[in-house]
Amino acid sequence: MSNALSRAVERYGAFRDEWYALPALVAASLILLAAMPFLRQLALFGYAPLGWLSLNMLIITLIWATTAQAWNIMSGYTGQFSFGHAAFFGLGAYATIILTGTFGISPWIGMLLGSVLAGIYGLLIGALTFRYDLEGHYFALAATLAFAELLRYVFTNVPQLGGASGFFRPLAREYADGPGLAAFQFTGDLPYYYLILGFLTVVTVVSLAINRSQLGYYLFAIREREQAAAAIGVPTYRYKLLAVAVSAFFTAWPGAFWAMYFNTIRPTTVFDLLVNIEILLPAIVGGIGTVLGPIVGSFIVIPVSEFVRQSFSVPGLNNAVYGVILIAIVLYSPKGVVSWPSRFVELLRARTDLLDDDAA
Amino acid sequence: MLSSFLPDACCREAAGVAFVGAFDALGIQTALGLSLPSPTIFAQYFVFAVLLGGIYGLIALGLTMIFGVMDVINFAHGALMVVAMYAVLVFSDATGLSPFFAIPFAVLLLFVFGVVIYRSTIAPIIDAPQENQLIVTFGVLLILISGVEIAFGSDPRQLGSTSAPSKSPACSFRRGSCTRSSSRSSRCLERGCSSSEQCSVARSAGPRTTATARSTSGSTSPDRRAHLRDRCRAGGLAGAVIPLFQSFTPALGDQYLINAFVVVVLGGLGSFPGAFVGGLIIGFIQVFGSAYLGGSTYQIVIFMAFILVLLVKPEGLLGGRR
Repeated sequence: MSNALSRAVERYGAFRDEWYALPALVAASLILLAAMPFLRQLALFGYAPLGWLSLNMLIITLIWATTAQAWNIMSGYTGQFSFGHAAFFGLGAYATIILTGTFGISPWIGMLLGSVLAGIYGLLIGALTFRYDLEGHYFALAATLAFAELLRYVFTNVPQLGGASGFFRPLAREYADGPGLAAFQFTGDLPYYYLILGFLTVVTVVSLAINRSQLGYYLFAIREREQAAAAIGVPTYRYKLLAVAVSAFFTAWPGAFWAMYFNTIRPTTVFDLLVNIEILLPAIVGGIGTVLGPIVGSFIVIPVSEFVRQSFSVPGLNNAVYGVILIAIVLYSPKGVVSWPSRFVELLRARTDLLDDDAA
Repeated sequence: MLSSFLPDACCREAAGVAFVGAFDALGIQTALGLSLPSPTIFAQYFVFAVLLGGIYGLIALGLTMIFGVMDVINFAHGALMVVAMYAVLVFSDATGLSPFFAIPFAVLLLFVFGVVIYRSTIAPIIDAPQENQLIVTFGVLLILISGVEIAFGSDPRQLGSTSAPSKSPACSFRRGSCTRSSSRSSRCLERGCSSSEQCSVARSAGPRTTATARSTSGSTSPDRRAHLRDRCRAGGLAGAVIPLFQSFTPALGDQYLINAFVVVVLGGLGSFPGAFVGGLIIGFIQVFGSAYLGGSTYQIVIFMAFILVLLVKPEGLLGGRR
């Protein structure tokens, strides 16, 4: 092995152990994302390597990155798996569009109300499912999924809530002076991109803060061994509820963004079973319980799926791609893609040690 | 279960009259402002509710069995049912035989599917945390459903008119509109019902003994594999029965699966009688709900019942703490 490579590996290993490694990596990736709209136009010798990433695709990727980041705060940190985050996503979307379209209230207030509503709904789900601690995972699965599906059927069957056909996004001049930040609507895609990047940054910073705080240690303790955590005095029930509420609150944000970015929302687009999957998939692929995982994962899963969907006119094929990625990751790298550099370093270190032993 | 004891249309009608009579006596009809249909239709609803309840019980049985024995939550259960539905379609279209002959074929096919899925995805990570197995079965679900969608399209399908039992389009309960089925097709419903229940009773008797065997001898891999096959066959059976009475789409499995999850929790996790009691409750809510409430409001009622059980008796109607 070349000397330069092993030195670089050593340096990375030392950097990884520093306390500032994670914030630095997070900041670097957010800056990279901020530069993305320009990077994709960058041409090397007349060929743009990122040219196939359309702005629309980037926005969709960041929407799911944000939801996955919010999902991660609950499910990744506390180990309480949620299959029903579409409920919070949809509540954010519907609260925003109903308040804006029907009452002419600013979408920002709608988003805030939707987030609070989602947080309360999350507390309700948590209170009902955590209290009895019966067969943990199965129970949580059935309950979270049922609560999400309940909302789907409520919104489908109540005409005042839009019914099966949902709502059209109102025109910006109906409730504001026109397109702009205050109206939550823009004429081009680029402002939308930076807005969702802003959302992602906020959720990521919150996630990082929780990760580094006392609260984070409590949550991790619950994930690793709940009974032991309770035995040393962590009020597990209260902290699980807190994690659900925070997670639900932030999941509603990209929901509101979805409502203001696309032309229509319907129960089948925001409450669908598949939305539950799209929310948790990036976190699983990137690495459950890590801060960078959901961002990295979303940039693997969503562009590939969108690429498949747009390139081959076979409906359903992109879902099969989801399935294959899911199985491959869980079977071969359950810690996710973000664990790969560390694994690589360890692999190289082991090899260097072996070579050193041979030389000695 | 009532349906299997009603030999012909005359008796069914009589039962319907008795039922409506009881309804009237209680004053429910006037209190709710419902206009009850003729006793014949009411009896048919009743029969159909029992049938659907049996199907739900069968699916829930597969879920609760596989969870109780292997600690694996199988998300692909509904997808396997969909595979069975289309297997029945292909078989009866290709051979022109009655779909009843296709059921063993579907069960056998699902058995093979079960072994392949277990070998390729679940066995390698059987000792991993529970979420991982859950996610893997989710991946299987996505692949199976997409495969069916690519092969057959996502339009609703129905068994061909060459097959006698489903000559009249029976009920499309997804849309909540129940058309009046001829006496011939309702007899078919009855047969489907009794056959599904008999089979599932037989199946529920088997695993219970192996489950106790496992608890004494410790869990071994071949044992677990056998259960997975059993489970797939139960799912296959339920799936194979469904085309006999309704049209189906690749997405139908999800709906059945979610309600089956509800049934499992409703009846009590790990309780076999609970699965059937829960299944019957959901079946009745769905059939009568879609007849009287319109739309898919019945589904809201189902989830409300679920939340009520969570609040009042979280261990399920027939479940105790294990």
